[in-house]
Order: sequence, then structure tokens, then C-alpha cells
Amino acid sequence: MIRTFSALVAKELIGFFRSWGLVAVVLYSFTLDIYIAGKGIEMQAKNIAVGYVDRSGGGMSRKILSRLHMPEFQKPIPFPSQEALSRAIFNREIMVGLIFGSDFEKDLKKRGHAKLDLLLDSVAATQSFQALQYLQNIVLEYADLQMPVVLKIHKLFNQNAETAWFMALAEMLSVITLLGVILTAAVFVREKENGTWDIMLLTPIDPKLIILAKSFSQVLIIVAGVVIATGIVLFGSFDIPINGSIWSFFLLSFFYAFTSAGIGLFVAAISKNMLQVAQFSILIMMPLIFLSGAWTPIHAMDPVLQNLSLISPLRYYIEGSESIFFRGTPFDGLGSYFAGVIGLGSVLYFYGFQKIGKVF
Amino acid sequence: MNIGVVKAYMLKEFKELIRSKMIMMVYVMPTMIIILFGYGIRMEVTHARTLIIDNDRSKISHDLTARFEHSKYFDTTVGWMNEDAAMNRIKAAKTDIVIIIPESFEKRLLHRQPTEIAVFIDGAFPVRAATMENYVKGVVFNAATQLVPQIPRKLITIENRNLFNQAMRDENAIVPGLIGLILLVAPAILSALLIVKEKEEGTIFSFFSSPVKKSEFIIAKLVPALLLHSVNIFILFLWATWLFEVPFRGSFTLYWFASELYVLISLGVGMMVSIITRTQIVAIVLTIIITIIPGFLYSGMLMPISSMSGESKIEAHIYPVMYYNHLVYDTFLIGQGLDSPKNQLYLAILVGYALFITLLGSWLMKKEIR
Repeated sequence: MIRTFSALVAKELIGFFRSWGLVAVVLYSFTLDIYIAGKGIEMQAKNIAVGYVDRSGGGMSRKILSRLHMPEFQKPIPFPSQEALSRAIFNREIMVGLIFGSDFEKDLKKRGHAKLDLLLDSVAATQSFQALQYLQNIVLEYADLQMPVVLKIHKLFNQNAETAWFMALAEMLSVITLLGVILTAAVFVREKENGTWDIMLLTPIDPKLIILAKSFSQVLIIVAGVVIATGIVLFGSFDIPINGSIWSFFLLSFFYAFTSAGIGLFVAAISKNMLQVAQFSILIMMPLIFLSGAWTPIHAMDPVLQNLSLISPLRYYIEGSESIFFRGTPFDGLGSYFAGVIGLGSVLYFYGFQKIGKVF
Repeated sequence: MNIGVVKAYMLKEFKELIRSKMIMMVYVMPTMIIILFGYGIRMEVTHARTLIIDNDRSKISHDLTARFEHSKYFDTTVGWMNEDAAMNRIKAAKTDIVIIIPESFEKRLLHRQPTEIAVFIDGAFPVRAATMENYVKGVVFNAATQLVPQIPRKLITIENRNLFNQAMRDENAIVPGLIGLILLVAPAILSALLIVKEKEEGTIFSFFSSPVKKSEFIIAKLVPALLLHSVNIFILFLWATWLFEVPFRGSFTLYWFASELYVLISLGVGMMVSIITRTQIVAIVLTIIITIIPGFLYSGMLMPISSMSGESKIEAHIYPVMYYNHLVYDTFLIGQGLDSPKNQLYLAILVGYALFITLLGSWLMKKEIR
């Protein structure tokens, strides 16, 4: 029994390693793809392009402009007229346009109060909102109010708000889902397409064992990928801190790989060829990845989506992984995440198992 | 070119696409993505779960708490617990912000002695953390200027005019970018399988042995897919303007023309994958990976192109999605149309891209047994 099982697993693994294209794509997804996502996305407003028109001709405007600097702002670019400035904003080369009117300096000196006009490209709502906040803070600091209250702000787990940490982790979890589903489904459908299922049937092996072994081999590939990605990309390139136990993360990943294999089994059961596998897995995975909270935190979503996300195993996996990496939750605090992944996982896996079992 | 052969071949492709239920992929997936992402991506932070520990329980501290309670950005609970218990709530992901008001807060304030309020924010989600930080600062600052009138007034007020997206709605910012993402991913996945499928099933040999030319074969493969996906250009437009109420201020012709070009480019990208791969599974995974990431990252949807630097700026200029999205955001929110030289340039780049990728595809495609 154990020998048959390991022979079947070995057969699948050899088949996988023979297809060098597939090996390359899987390796790419677990390394470079995660690296690019982590490096590429920066949703914080940083490096904002600023332009200005200065008609006040005074030192005040200079002093304010000198406070706009990296990493939040690029060096402000002077424009000869308001028309030129707004043309640059319309072409989306400049995001923030400051206009110092001719009365700016006079008003500030005489009345202690002046107005600063601001043109804002608010297409990217988040960044423009943050840009506005930055500017407000700069102007406030400049005014040098004797504030009696000091705010001591601590951003826990990620003091410098490194987006790369979060993005790389979220991307890795999405890659696991994507490959877990598609690889498993492909292993079964390819045999269906080629007609080699029938040969499998002729062998005196329990079909249930075949299914288990085939899906287990793909789980192994995914877990190996997770180990590589965590070691090389997360720790190697991004230096992500891990405040909890790495073993609990690998254990959670192992269970989650089974869950996604379960979805793959279901997809394999309902599709006749690879074309349909592609369709169904994308149709199932898009909402799954999306409802997981990888992009938007769950409690910020529409209530309908929030409730739907309760049945997404990825939700528990992502929250669990975040807790392990950033919040440093100890193993006994992870019960609900393990329960979510294992609970939904076993339902999905057994459903898929039954469903593909009916082919026999 | 033999028109009759191309026509017959196209008809065969059309029938296959419809018979293989590929039509579901063509029409269900784009709509599903735009609805899910359009409703789901919320960059704006509301209902941040805030726990205020008020150790002072004075009039001023009450006033401050009330300001948090009345803000739509915070879901406030006021509790009295020790600091460790509060930290554990953040660790268990039950609270986003903990604000601790110290004892004798009011007394020190009235005596004009400096006091400190401690704020702890869950930083696991960095963008949210930064936004929440700004909100907290804003509320406390407003409270301070009003509660403590002795603050000297030498103020600069910012009169901001938000162009293009006055209300700063997330829908306006995200939905046009989603069109660029969807029209890149969906056609590419469809065409990625068109040729590799025949390779894997062996039917490609009938093409090798027939007198059909390479160009005829490619046209016959791409045109049905292009026609089917052209309908999506209109469907997505309807969802954006009607369901998400994104304003449309520019030229519809420009939107349409640019989108047709862009769909052709995406089909070309998929076709390239189909030519260089041997198995369908590799083709599918490869297409998903090379389209979804640039569609999100280098599209200008989550981060303005003008804020990019270094490698990411170069990468953004390589993918077609940046040029298309510039035009889409222009037609939806800005409305300069072809008067703007930048739009003319980007449209020209899209034309060049489309030509380049189809020519490269037909050059790489080999009509022989390998």
C-alpha cells in the first residue's frame, strides 16, 4: 500500500520534472514573480510629481517648497503660468500643482493668514488624498503652532510601512492558490484527454489511492515552492521579519495546499479538456483570491462580500499567515485559522474526491 | 491571400469557440472581474476599528473621544483595560487602532504643560496604516485648535481643487483601470490556447500539410477572437458608466478605437505564448502570470505613473497597458481627446505595438514539423 502510493507519487513527480517548461514556469512564479510584485507595487503616495507657479516672489513660498522633498515628493518643477501647469496636470505628468498668488506673502505678514491654491490630479484617489495630507502637515509645521498635545504614533509590526513586505506575502499566497488549483486539475484532465485514465483503471490499484497519490504529488510540489519562495524571496530579498514560528506557517501552507488541490479535483471533475480547466479555474479562483483580503481588508468590504468571504479558505490562510509573520501570534492563538483552512479544506477535498471518483 | 480559404477557416474557428463553451470565458469572466473588483477594491479607509483607552475621564478627553465617535472613518469603542490587553487585541486582528489618553490629561493641558497621547496602529497593511495615521492626526489637530483657543493664529489654509475626480471616489479611480486589466487578461488567455491546443492534440499537422499560408492561419485564428471580444468593449463601458456611475467626459470613438487596438495587442500576446509553448497547461499559467501583474502594477491604476522611478518606470513603458490606460482615463475622467499631443503619441504607440506583435508572431510561427 505504502509502496504503491510512493511509486504513484514518484511517477507524477518524474512526469512533472520532465516537462521543463512547467518546471520553469513554477519556479518563475515562486521567485521572480513574487519579487516583481513586491518591488513593483507601492501604494503609498511616494515620489509625487509636484509643479508650482510662484507669483508671490517672496521667501515664504521658497521655504515651503524646500520642505517638499524625498521620499514623499519629487523636486518641485517651476511653471511660468497657471495654464502651463494645468496642461501638465491634464497630461498627467504632474500630480500636485501649487499656486502662490501675488498676495500670498503680504497676507501672511499682515493678517497672519494666507491662502494657498492647490490643483490636484485626483484620478488616483488614495495617493492624492495622502498628498493632500502631507501638504497640510507641511504647512502646519511651517506655521509652527505651539501645540500642547504631542501624538506619539507607533505603527506596530511594520514601523516604516514597507509595502513590499505585505505585497510579496500576498502575492506568494495568490501564487500558491493559482498553482495548487491548476496543477492538480491538469494532472487529472491530461490523463482524461489522452485516454490514459482507462489504462490506470485496468491496473489492480484502488482508484481512491490513485487520486490521493496524484493530488499528494502536486501538494508536494507546492510546498517545495513555498519553502523556496520563503527562503529566497521573502527572507533573502525583502528581509521580511517573522515574529511567529516558521513551522506553523509551513504547516498551515501544507494544509492549504490540500485545500487548493481539492478545488483542483473539483475543476478536473467538471471539465473535459484543458480549455475548460483554464476557464473554470479562473472563474473559481478570481473571486477566491479577491475575497481573501489580499487586496482590501475584509472588514472594509461591502457587507455582502464580507459574508461571502467566510467561505473562502484563502481568507483564513492569508489572515493566519499575516498573523504569523507580522503579528507574531503564538501557535495556540492560530486555532481559528487552522480550523478555517482545514475545515473548508476537507469539505472541498472530499467533495472533489467524490466527484472525480465518479468517473470510475 | 486566398479569401475563400480564410473565410472557411474562420468559420471553423468560430464554431469551435462556441462549441467548446469558450464563449462563457469570453463574456462571463470580464463581467465577473469588473463587478467583483469594482465593488471590492476599497482604498478609502472607513470604519477603522478604534479602541480608545481614556485614563483621564475629564471633560476635554470626553470631547476628544466624541470627535472620534462622530467620524465615519472610525468605529470607536471606549474601554478601560491595561495596555497589554489592548496590544493583544491588535495582535488578534480585532482592533486597528488603540489610542491611549494619559491621566491628568486635562489638568496638564489647562496648565499648558505638554502632554502625550499614545497611538498604536496595526501596520500589517501599510497603506491603510498610513491613512489611518493621517486621520488620527487630523482629528486631534482640529480638536486642539478648537479646545485650546490660545494657539497663535498664523495659518496657511490650502484651497484645493480636485481635478477629474472631484469627490475622490474609489470607483472613478479603479474602474477605468480595471477595463485595461480585463481587456489584457481575457483575450490573452483565449488566444494563448488557440495554437498550442492544436499542437498538443496533433491537429496542427493538418495545417502543416495543407497549402494554407501562415498569415492566413493567423488571421483566421485572431479575427473570430477579436470579434467576440469587441463586444466586451461595450459591455465593460456599460458596467462602468451605468453600474459604477463613472462619468464619461471624452470621446467615445477614441475609447472604442483604442480598445480595439488594445484587444488585438492582448490577443497577440496570447498568440506569442501559444507559439513558444508546447503544452496547454504551461501556456495558461504563463499567460496568467505575464498579464495579471503588469495589468495591476504598471497600469497607473493603483499608483500613478508619474510617481514611479527606476526599474518600475522602465517596465511600465514596456507593457502596452500604460499607454492604453492613459487613453482610457482620459476618455472617462479628463476628456482632452485627440487635442492632446500626449494622447496622439500614445495612440500611435498602440498602433505600432499591434503591428509589431502580430508581425513578430507570424515570423516566429513555423510551418514545419519540429
